[in-house]
Amino acid sequence: MVEKFYEELDELKAEIPMFGAFAIGMLEDSIKALKNQDLGLAEEIRERKANLAAHHTRIEEEALRILALYQPMAKDLRVIACINQTNYSLYRVGRIGWDIAKLSMYVAGQPFIENLQNIFYMGDLVVAMLRDVMEVYESNAISSLLGLSKRDDVVDNLRSSIFRECLTYMMEDNRNIPRCIDYISVSRHLERAGDHACLIAEKIYYMNTGERVEIR
Amino acid sequence: MVNRMQENGAILSTRDLNLYYGEKHALIDVSIDIRPNTVTALIGPSGCGKSTLLRCFNRMNDLVGGVRTNGECLFKGKNIYAKEVDVVGLRKKIGMVFQKPNPFPKSIYENIAYGPRIHGIKNKKALDEIVEKSLKSAALWDEVSDRLHEPAMGLSGGQQQRLCIARTLSVEPEIILMDEPCSALDPIATSKIEDLMIELKENYTVIVVTHNMQQAARVSDETGFMYLGKLVEFGDTVQIFERPREELTNNYVTGRFG
Repeated sequence: MVEKFYEELDELKAEIPMFGAFAIGMLEDSIKALKNQDLGLAEEIRERKANLAAHHTRIEEEALRILALYQPMAKDLRVIACINQTNYSLYRVGRIGWDIAKLSMYVAGQPFIENLQNIFYMGDLVVAMLRDVMEVYESNAISSLLGLSKRDDVVDNLRSSIFRECLTYMMEDNRNIPRCIDYISVSRHLERAGDHACLIAEKIYYMNTGERVEIR
Repeated sequence: MVNRMQENGAILSTRDLNLYYGEKHALIDVSIDIRPNTVTALIGPSGCGKSTLLRCFNRMNDLVGGVRTNGECLFKGKNIYAKEVDVVGLRKKIGMVFQKPNPFPKSIYENIAYGPRIHGIKNKKALDEIVEKSLKSAALWDEVSDRLHEPAMGLSGGQQQRLCIARTLSVEPEIILMDEPCSALDPIATSKIEDLMIELKENYTVIVVTHNMQQAARVSDETGFMYLGKLVEFGDTVQIFERPREELTNNYVTGRFG
């Protein structure tokens, strides 16, 4: 019985990096679509939503099934708790990608502002945070997680500087307003995605040590 | 010595308690503090010493040949292994319920009245009151109040076990020891006993030995994990089951051995 339990738990645990690659891929591609004004890619990202939801539900069902059948304790219980939170956070990350893809379609025809590159830089930072966290999920090298707070601070600061930058461009030329308004929304979305990286990091830390730390 | 229990708030404590069955060293330097009005669960694989420790608390091990103990076992600050201790009086204060329900082959009423009677209560009205109060405390009154004089053996297993708990309560103990009280019962009877344990802690202190880890997690406030005669870890139940300090505890509660 114990062997069967660990086989199932290991299988479930291995689902998360796969789901992570899918969800983070949606976010990364949505930033590409925004940058390259690629309507085709944006459309394709929007079609990934059904798969995202199905994968998320499958993991949740499996986690609940294991809880119900085996009532895991201690470290095993913490693994399930971490999987559940990570599953939810990754789902949100995928949805953020979906939202950004939608916004990128709105602004595709609007004037592009070459100098407004911070938004893409912010996107790269957030994607890297998420990728690094998922790497720790597999390697359990938790000491690197605590450094995430500083990276999240950079992301938060970028959000306010993007806001101020956009204000300037909007005042300069009112044709910039639609794109700038959307960039402000995108920066808000990216900030949330960064928060999810921190939430996942907290749960991975808890899974490994049983201690709750605040990473934000 | 008398006041040291009050200092840490424990009702029952052991200090470096060792017990030998002949050559076998069954308890090794066990030190534990049981707080009043709590449910404490003792868990661990078969042969780890949890039942032995439980039986030390009311000197049931005295009945086993070749047993030696050293160290201290203190009930309200007094060593229960001291020469002057009246063992019958001790077992009245620290009652016990066993794995298999063991009612006397008498009526339900007589099962409860027996203890108070040998402790000197003869008055019929007083005995009636004790029977009713004990059965109510054991959540059995509503099921048996109309057939108190029928044989106890006619009750179901779960009812018999609650009768045994009522019998323990009839002599007004302070601590109730339970050794695998639900392992012979079905899930519904088990959940009634579990509810009862939680109710009982309002007026008593309950110590339960169980193989069922979910049961320990459900009913207890504090849990001790024992292995090979040692108390490996003792602490808040949530802590033991969610984030045990010891690797050994983690391996046991996650089912890796046992």
